[in-house]
Amino acid sequence: MGESFIVLRRLRKEFGELVAVEDLDLEIQEGEFLCFLGPSGCGKTTTLRMIAGLEIPTSGDIFLRGERINDLPPQRRNVGFVFQNYALFWHMTVRENLAFGLLVRGAPRSEIKREVGEMARWLELGDLLETKASRLDLSAMQRVALGRTLVTRPQVLLLDEPLNNFRPGLREIMRGELKRLQKQLGSTMIYVTHDQEEAMTMGDRILVMSAGRKVQFATPRELYQEPNSLFVAGFIGRPPMNLLEVTYMQEGDRAFLRRGELLWDVTPLRATIEEGLRSERAVLGVRPEHVLPVEEAKRRGLQDTVVRGKVDLVQPLARKKIVDLFIDDTLIKMVVPSDFPVAKDDQVEVVFHPQETHLFDKETERAIYNGLS
Amino acid sequence: MASKVERPLVGGGRKPAPARLLRVLKGEAFFRGVLAMPMQLLLWFLLIIPTLIVLYLSLVAWEPRMGTDWWQAPFSWFRNYGHVISDVRFWQAIVRTICVVAVAVMLEFTIGLGLALFFQRDFLGKRLFTSVILYPMMLPWVVVGLAFYLLFLEKGPVNYILIHFLGFKAGVAWYHYPVLALSTIILADVWQWTPFMFLILYSGLGALPRDPVEAAMTLGASRWQIFRYITMPMLKQVVIIALIIRSLEAFKIFDLVFIMTGGGPGTATESISLYIYRLGFVYGQLSYAAAMAVLILISISIITRLAVRPLEYEV
Amino acid sequence: MNEERSREGRSRGFLALIGQASRWLGALAICLVILLPVVWVLSISFKPPQEWLAYPPTIIPVEATGSNYIVLFQPGNPVGGVATMVSSAEPVTKALINSLFIAPIATAASVTIGFLAAYAVSRYRVGGTFMPFFTLTTRMFPPVAFAVPLLVYYRLLGLIDTRLGLILMYTGFTVAFSLWMMKGFIDGVPRHIEEAAVLDGASPWRVLFTITLPLVRGGLAATALFVFILNWTEFLFALVFTSREAITIPVQVSHYVGAVGRFYGPQAALGVVASLPVVVAGYLIQRHLVTGFTFGLVRE
Repeated sequence: MGESFIVLRRLRKEFGELVAVEDLDLEIQEGEFLCFLGPSGCGKTTTLRMIAGLEIPTSGDIFLRGERINDLPPQRRNVGFVFQNYALFWHMTVRENLAFGLLVRGAPRSEIKREVGEMARWLELGDLLETKASRLDLSAMQRVALGRTLVTRPQVLLLDEPLNNFRPGLREIMRGELKRLQKQLGSTMIYVTHDQEEAMTMGDRILVMSAGRKVQFATPRELYQEPNSLFVAGFIGRPPMNLLEVTYMQEGDRAFLRRGELLWDVTPLRATIEEGLRSERAVLGVRPEHVLPVEEAKRRGLQDTVVRGKVDLVQPLARKKIVDLFIDDTLIKMVVPSDFPVAKDDQVEVVFHPQETHLFDKETERAIYNGLS
Repeated sequence: MASKVERPLVGGGRKPAPARLLRVLKGEAFFRGVLAMPMQLLLWFLLIIPTLIVLYLSLVAWEPRMGTDWWQAPFSWFRNYGHVISDVRFWQAIVRTICVVAVAVMLEFTIGLGLALFFQRDFLGKRLFTSVILYPMMLPWVVVGLAFYLLFLEKGPVNYILIHFLGFKAGVAWYHYPVLALSTIILADVWQWTPFMFLILYSGLGALPRDPVEAAMTLGASRWQIFRYITMPMLKQVVIIALIIRSLEAFKIFDLVFIMTGGGPGTATESISLYIYRLGFVYGQLSYAAAMAVLILISISIITRLAVRPLEYEV
Repeated sequence: MNEERSREGRSRGFLALIGQASRWLGALAICLVILLPVVWVLSISFKPPQEWLAYPPTIIPVEATGSNYIVLFQPGNPVGGVATMVSSAEPVTKALINSLFIAPIATAASVTIGFLAAYAVSRYRVGGTFMPFFTLTTRMFPPVAFAVPLLVYYRLLGLIDTRLGLILMYTGFTVAFSLWMMKGFIDGVPRHIEEAAVLDGASPWRVLFTITLPLVRGGLAATALFVFILNWTEFLFALVFTSREAITIPVQVSHYVGAVGRFYGPQAALGVVASLPVVVAGYLIQRHLVTGFTFGLVRE
């Protein structure tokens, strides 16, 4: 045994000339809350639909509990699917919507009545049971969409950006509800989204996709701390990671990263860097929260190259401030506590937290090191 | 709006009259009024006045042969209506027409639906077939009537096929028997108007949202179940409209009957339109025809109103 | 509703091929059924008299001839045996010319009036909810019902058997169609485009003709073709209200069936001639017909 619950192997989907999903390998464990994350058109929804059976792979295999299900129609997969715009049966009442899955399976009336009743109670739809689906408000629609598939006790629950239509405040609440629900039921859930914050808060593991390919499949913490490519580095985190082009230089037995007049000594990591670098062009990455004012760095006992910058914009938020800093002609962002004194046109000195700086090869865009010292 | 300024009568400073007129002509109120005016005029001319006239005619006893002018005819009030109600030929025509409509429309709907479903998938040459299917609707009714008349002649192709391919002993004398004659008319109508049903249903099916169907699939519904519980109910509005429109049109059937059977044998295939036509324009009993027409108008209005009810609910 | 399209991965393999083939055959059979009457009429129109009732019937004439067509225009002219038989019939020329005159003019009038009215209804809600539906009554009721009073009316106005009379009638009875079809298209033009023009100082007339009209050109064409077909093929009114002067093609066809009796050749030929303009028009229309036929009822 030891087989994963869902396995995707070399999965590929083409629509005519367009390759929507390319060479995707993935193993999902039972009971996981998985997120498919990526920008529009990256193939995440297509992959989800292939798992559901709504699209047939051009090549590659999908396994569920060890069984190859490529040719199995969606009707027989017992996979629940919640659509982005809910796809409710508009002409039916809430009750009929909830009952549909059981109805088409030929379940006895008593069972349908009982299950629907329980589901409605649980999702707080009791009052709306006889309302036509077309007359519901958004939150109710989502609950009906959810309830409709849960009633059939699917093995896997697939959700395609179901919270897109919710306004921000409600959205966070619903995220929590969904997560709680999943833990409660112990079902396997795959959640598609383009919002990295959503994925980061909800997912046990996240599959990041871009242009049809898998970029990185890891836990949120890993994606945050150890992005494997420029894409992930720039995609995860808000505000996004600062990325600066640097050149790698050697001088005698010392190694440096250089940008304009700034130099970072990277001699201890020479071996690793030279192994990963294709040319001398690289990209230095550091998250805004890891750009520290010199005083703070000193306080923490961190030593590194001092960078000077001029403040261009200060955005005060609830518990922090986002400061736009111009280093020569480059704009980077930094995050400071609310009480930190800073104003436009100030000159500040910052240090990039040495253990939280990343280096990427410019050409391949792959990470060479996460956490320089 | 520019404020009105009193200008002295003497000494000019006033806008020349044509420009003022032009301003009015370009104005919105005028525009609005003028836009619909031609149509209102037409409606009055062709709808409202004739309706008044026909009402009047139905209440008088007038036959042009008698030489009197129509406004001189004596009032007979509801006597014409009484005659209509007791006219056997009238009722026969009504029943007959309703039967034809029912059978024809049902056939058209069924076949049209089947075709529309059939055409959901792509296949080779689909575009070509789609264009061919439209032609029957465009042909003049009289030509369709002519074509079918020729087809069902004693020595025509239909009998030929029946004898040689289906083992009939002799050709069928289509125009001799009422039921058969009616059948040929129904067939002609079905041939011509099934494409109409097909088009409406096909567009309707195509405009249905795809998501609920996919949702139903993930919930385990078979194709038949999807059709029954999802597709058809969603199509209901379109279906009802299509049925109403086609039924109304079919009820008016005239051209086909005129050309193919002339109402024969005897009056066996006479549709209500044909009967009224004969009364008014062949026998010259215009008042009587008017009364009959009024009755028909009222009935159709009521029935249409009732038939449209299920639709108003949904919206 | 292309639930089948995305599952095309399945369309490989033998079973699928059979499915495709049977579909194609089915479609072919349907086409044949549709074409049979048409083909038959065409066939007879090119047959000489001895073949009209030939048994067994053939599709391809043994001796194809165009004399049936010639006879339509010159019945007195002895061309083959047919002409002598039909010498009592009238030439078709007059009917043809009348139809060619009446149908396009009535169509133009109907579409124009309908377009203007549709704009009024769409943008200004002229007539409220009642009026537009009221216009539909012209299509709802059997034409005979109108013909009866109109006869009296027209006689008074001296419009019997005149082209003008018929044009007026046709315009009036198709304007409802024009209105509803054009309304659909006009509704589809976003208002803010027009409003922008108004803000720029354009008069409503200008907006209508330079902004809206070009945008609904396609719809206008489709409506025009549709109405043209209706006008060209109209029978009952023409039958009642015309005799010698303003006779139209459909009425002429009925004369041939009646007066000419068993002379199927010329009848068929006339049928073909009567159908040509609408077939051409139909060919131009088909693009538009397959799309917007849902009367705005189906929820997207």
